[in-house]
Amino acid sequence: MKNETRHAPPETSWPPAEPGKPFLTLLRFNRRYLRAYLTGAALAVVFVVISLLMPLIIRATVQGLSTGALGTDRLWEFFWVLLATSIAAGVARYFQRTLMIGASRHFEYDLRNAYFRHLQRLSASFFQRMPTGDLMARATSDMNQIRDFVGPGVMGTVDMIRLPFTLGMMFYLSVRLTLYSLLPLPALTILVYLFVRFMNRQSKIVQEIYAELSTRVQENLAGARVVKAFGIEDRETDRFREKTLEYMKANVKLAVVTSFAWPLIDMLIGVAVLMVIWQGGKLVIENHLTLGDLSAFLITMVMLAWPLIQFGWVLTLYQRGAVSMNRISAILNEVPEISDDQRTVMNARITVGRIQFEGVSFRYPSPPESAAQAALPTTHQRPWAVEEVSFEVPAGTTLAIVGPTGSGKSTLLSLLCREFEPVSGHILIDGQALEVFPLHTLRHALGCVPQDVFIFSESIRENIRLGRPAIPDGEILDAARVAGFLGDLQEMPQQLDTLLGERGVNLSGGQKQRLALARALVCNPAILLLDDTLSSVDTRTEELILRELRGYMEGRTSIIVSHRISSIRHAHKIIVLADGQIVESGNHDELVELDGLYARLHQRQLLETHLEEDS
Amino acid sequence: MSEGYHMQDELQERAYDAHLMRRLLGYIRPYRGWIILATVLLLVLSVLGNLAPVLLMHSVDAYINDATRLAAPEDMVAAAAERDLSGLYRMVLAIAAVVALQGLLRYVQVLVVSVVGQRTMFEMRLGLFDHLQHLSLGFLDRNPAGRLLSRVTNDIEKVQQTIVEGVVAVISDFMTLLVVLVVMFSINPILACVALSPVPLVVLTSVLFRKYAQHSFLEVRRKIAHINSWMQENVSGMRVVRLFNREDVNYAEYVARNADHRDEWVRQVRNFALYFPAVEFLGSLATALVILYCGMVMLKTGEATSGQGSVGTIFAFVFLAERFFGPIRALADRYNLILEAMASSERVFALQDTPPDVCNGPAPVSCARLKGAVALEHVWFAYPSAAELQGEPRWVLKNITLDIAPGERVAIVGHTGAGKSTLIHLLSRFYDIQRGHLRIDGVDVRDYDLIPMRRNIGVVLQDVFLFSGTIEENIRLGNPEISQEKVEACARHVNAARFIERLPGGYGYHVGERGCNLSTGQRQLVAFARTLAHDPRILVLDEATANIDTETENLIQDAIAKLLEGRTSIVIAHRLSTVQHADRIVVFHHGEIRESGTHQELLAHNGLYRTLYELQYKDQTGSD
Ligand SMILES: Nc1ncnc2c1ncn2[C@@H]1O[C@H](COP(=O)(O)OP(=O)(O)OP(=O)(O)O)[C@@H](O)[C@H]1O
Ligand SMILES: Nc1ncnc2c1ncn2[C@@H]1O[C@H](COP(=O)(O)OP(=O)(O)OP(=O)(O)O)[C@@H](O)[C@H]1O
Ligand SMILES: [Mg+2]
Ligand SMILES: [Mg+2]
Repeated sequence: MKNETRHAPPETSWPPAEPGKPFLTLLRFNRRYLRAYLTGAALAVVFVVISLLMPLIIRATVQGLSTGALGTDRLWEFFWVLLATSIAAGVARYFQRTLMIGASRHFEYDLRNAYFRHLQRLSASFFQRMPTGDLMARATSDMNQIRDFVGPGVMGTVDMIRLPFTLGMMFYLSVRLTLYSLLPLPALTILVYLFVRFMNRQSKIVQEIYAELSTRVQENLAGARVVKAFGIEDRETDRFREKTLEYMKANVKLAVVTSFAWPLIDMLIGVAVLMVIWQGGKLVIENHLTLGDLSAFLITMVMLAWPLIQFGWVLTLYQRGAVSMNRISAILNEVPEISDDQRTVMNARITVGRIQFEGVSFRYPSPPESAAQAALPTTHQRPWAVEEVSFEVPAGTTLAIVGPTGSGKSTLLSLLCREFEPVSGHILIDGQALEVFPLHTLRHALGCVPQDVFIFSESIRENIRLGRPAIPDGEILDAARVAGFLGDLQEMPQQLDTLLGERGVNLSGGQKQRLALARALVCNPAILLLDDTLSSVDTRTEELILRELRGYMEGRTSIIVSHRISSIRHAHKIIVLADGQIVESGNHDELVELDGLYARLHQRQLLETHLEEDS
Repeated sequence: MSEGYHMQDELQERAYDAHLMRRLLGYIRPYRGWIILATVLLLVLSVLGNLAPVLLMHSVDAYINDATRLAAPEDMVAAAAERDLSGLYRMVLAIAAVVALQGLLRYVQVLVVSVVGQRTMFEMRLGLFDHLQHLSLGFLDRNPAGRLLSRVTNDIEKVQQTIVEGVVAVISDFMTLLVVLVVMFSINPILACVALSPVPLVVLTSVLFRKYAQHSFLEVRRKIAHINSWMQENVSGMRVVRLFNREDVNYAEYVARNADHRDEWVRQVRNFALYFPAVEFLGSLATALVILYCGMVMLKTGEATSGQGSVGTIFAFVFLAERFFGPIRALADRYNLILEAMASSERVFALQDTPPDVCNGPAPVSCARLKGAVALEHVWFAYPSAAELQGEPRWVLKNITLDIAPGERVAIVGHTGAGKSTLIHLLSRFYDIQRGHLRIDGVDVRDYDLIPMRRNIGVVLQDVFLFSGTIEENIRLGNPEISQEKVEACARHVNAARFIERLPGGYGYHVGERGCNLSTGQRQLVAFARTLAHDPRILVLDEATANIDTETENLIQDAIAKLLEGRTSIVIAHRLSTVQHADRIVVFHHGEIRESGTHQELLAHNGLYRTLYELQYKDQTGSD
């Protein structure tokens, strides 16, 4: 958090990604570094031209020596020219490297930012289908593969500028020999093509298994308590063995082919050298070619060999990079299902906080496996999570929602927070459709305490204010007091500075819930949404919190979901959900009167109390 | 984010570490036959690699050059050419054989090495994962999952690189150097000295490079590790990030970390950019010196074929110098790879060496089936983290004494944070107590064989965790003894069958990460069913019905009452309605037992329980 003022608002727009066209995407992302790449390429040309001087000098020397027409002065001259050219080549090389590889690091930085930023935009349903482990594998392993291609890979590619120059030189030295040395070329092309096809397929498989592998580890770590509690360590290891074995096999399969790349290119070059010596030797012996030409030709060809070897290597890098780029593009190309769009009115404000649901129905999107089967029978669809729900919460009042497990209470709140969009019906706040409000405004007005508490491994202070530096400690403590967390806080070794573990491992269940409550309260939201927030809190603490909350909720619209009648009996209105539909509504007394589901829930708790007395 | 709660994750800036290397090599020991083969192949390959230039030299000197020089008189041309052409062909055939052999051997060598690398990686990874399974929660709590994850994934991958690209390639490089030296000196020692004269400069540059590159190399690794574990957490908590509009702040922080990482990289790039051209230049210097020297010698003797210098020798030396400086350049690059892999393996080994502090004693007591008598005697406990941070541990449980008879139903109530869940964790021996004794069936929990003991205790944890997989898999957890019928029966007992059967796929419904596509109560029900299905001797419910409506809860209670006949059960609950029928209720307060007794006794006692009770009671009758 310390860094947040250090940087101006960072870049937030990137070129579109094209899954299936990795090269295009790479190109687009690298456009802003085009200058660096072009300069680098120009330097590469300089470097190549300079290094081509070398065989020329050697030719002159050899020619001079074998004919005896070379003096000491000339020899020294050659020596100095040779040194000067290599220094020039080195300088060109230095700048080429810093420019090009430097640019690739900048590109990596951009891509990482783009990836993270895009993840932030994606909606809840995306995260439901994508395991975190997979997303992380993309951010780590795939990102590395791409970087390796763009850095060293592009360097290698640019180095191939040498190729035409070298070829030109060879043709200049001897057309016939050049043609001979190019004889292995067609074979090379076919092999490269086959090679690339295989690599492409296999590296994709490898990357996918790797992602599954990391998902598995990640899940095992997250569920460590369950693993231990049930003593299933061995089974976990077995399952992991399966995946690792699969990974190893896929890698070995890849190796069987990739190991071929290096010797193959080696051999092809060897064949080329052979042809040249054979034919060139003959030509020299028959006096059609000078020895100097032959030596220059040979040296040039060896210079050609290096970029060719590199070509094999670059090809491997490129293949892996392309597969990985596609995997990242796939994410970058996910369209956020919910975002600000043309319906949004940028300056729409939530003032009083009147909430209306009008015939809202919603079902969760079908699981991805069945979605893949195109013609989806409707039976595969999930049942309605919420069906034809209509109600109104007048500004400043409290609505309570009760209902059996899985009846759709949390779903209603998610819909209100626009984590999902209703399939039909409308949700309005202050008489305006939810879509009208920019997401930022909407969420600013809503103070939501989700049923699953999530705690970051930061200090308690950071967890409550969640990155709004303007909130002073006084307000944080005040919110903690209302949430009944102050007492616990004061017992902690470093109070607000106490550091929490991942997901708040070092807090008790009730402490986590109250921390999450404080987090929502401190924002001073117009609308407060509590989803079963006090379920892990004892009745005494609950009583204290409710008393404090009552004052806090004065004049604020709130929706409270709870299984405890004690938490909600004072609400202005209570709705009872069952299987996604409203079955009863009214205030506490009316509902008790009605003698339905609510009365039954209530009765059960009452009955028990009486029983306690009787027994 | 600060790493404060978590254990430090610092890397020593250590250079090559022989001990680590030995340990790494230990992993390849089972494949030493293959490695020896690869090494021999490498040796053969470097000899072959140098054979080609030598043959080349020979063909030029003996056949090509000779022929041109002798081709003075017209009539001799034909004869000479014929003779010499056959010599040339022989050489060509020899080179062809060398090239073919080289390709074949190279393939075998590369393949062997990668397969060995893959196998080693497989074993290492599996071993590490297995070790991770046995580490205590005290350790796991204090290491971010992202960090441990990258040990098992990234770091191991890097270690494999050491083996493939590092060790073997270095051996190969050294061999090439050696062979080149031998060949050079055997052709012409003086010329060899001339060609090698820039070597001291190369060494100097390499030392300088290492000095600057090493630090920044490790820095890069450290920074990326932080970025990744930070990102992992923020991806998991994306929902909160979004609900609280934290995206921009978060993003800004990400960008800042990312920029830091990039800048370090760019520094690194500059180091490399200086180093490589420098070595390349020194290589060219060697070539130039060779040409100069040979030229001088030839000029002096006026001979182009004498032993001191010849056109062929120039060829050979230009090639050989290239062969010599290539590996040197590569060595520096590999040194970094090895450095990186060393850092990785250091971390992997550190994890591998972390002793599982909660583990079996020397002679663990086996326990197929416990009776379920639990006895705590003056138990004191503080969480490991807190104990380490300051002098006096922050006791979470203080002097707890509690006896539970087999078959007894005990309820634990108390305000939040009182230490109820902690007690449960101790019972399953997630952590070890600092003082006092905790016995089950009269045996200290530390003396039991850990895993079978835990299997006897069925816990429904307060934080429900479901694996991604089907509902059935989640209930069965791979236990083959649990039949389909049992899975369904348990689901019925906890009243989960109704909702499960309505899900697409029923018991085969695919649950997302952490059960994200079920409602919270439904997750709890599945977790409950899972515990029942494992047929525990001691059932421990930590707020197992906190997110479940009262009606369902009552149904569950009725259904499992029979099931639990004769088994010890410990139930933690805040709703008094859940606990009132227990044989005994224990009231916790600030880590101590305040009261204990039956519902009636406690009511009569007029203490904390009575207050809790009255709150609920008053509230329910108050406005009626
Ligand atoms: N992310 C999801 N994907 C698919 N189905 C879901 C998802 N979340 C909930 N459901 C299903 O939708 C229904 C309603 O769930 P919801 O979470 O709204 O219940 P709830 O009333 O909050 O229950 P609880 O009291 O257990 O919290 C349930 O049947 C559940 O299985
Ligand atoms: N892993 C941990 N490391 C350090 N401290 C912890 C850890 N887990 C819990 N604590 C602390 O120990 C105390 C007792 O926690 P515990 O989870 O046992 O409470 P609880 O009685 O179960 O409360 P609740 O009813 O809220 O679940 C709390 O103050 C909590 O902050
Ligand atoms: Mg819910
Ligand atoms: Mg607890």
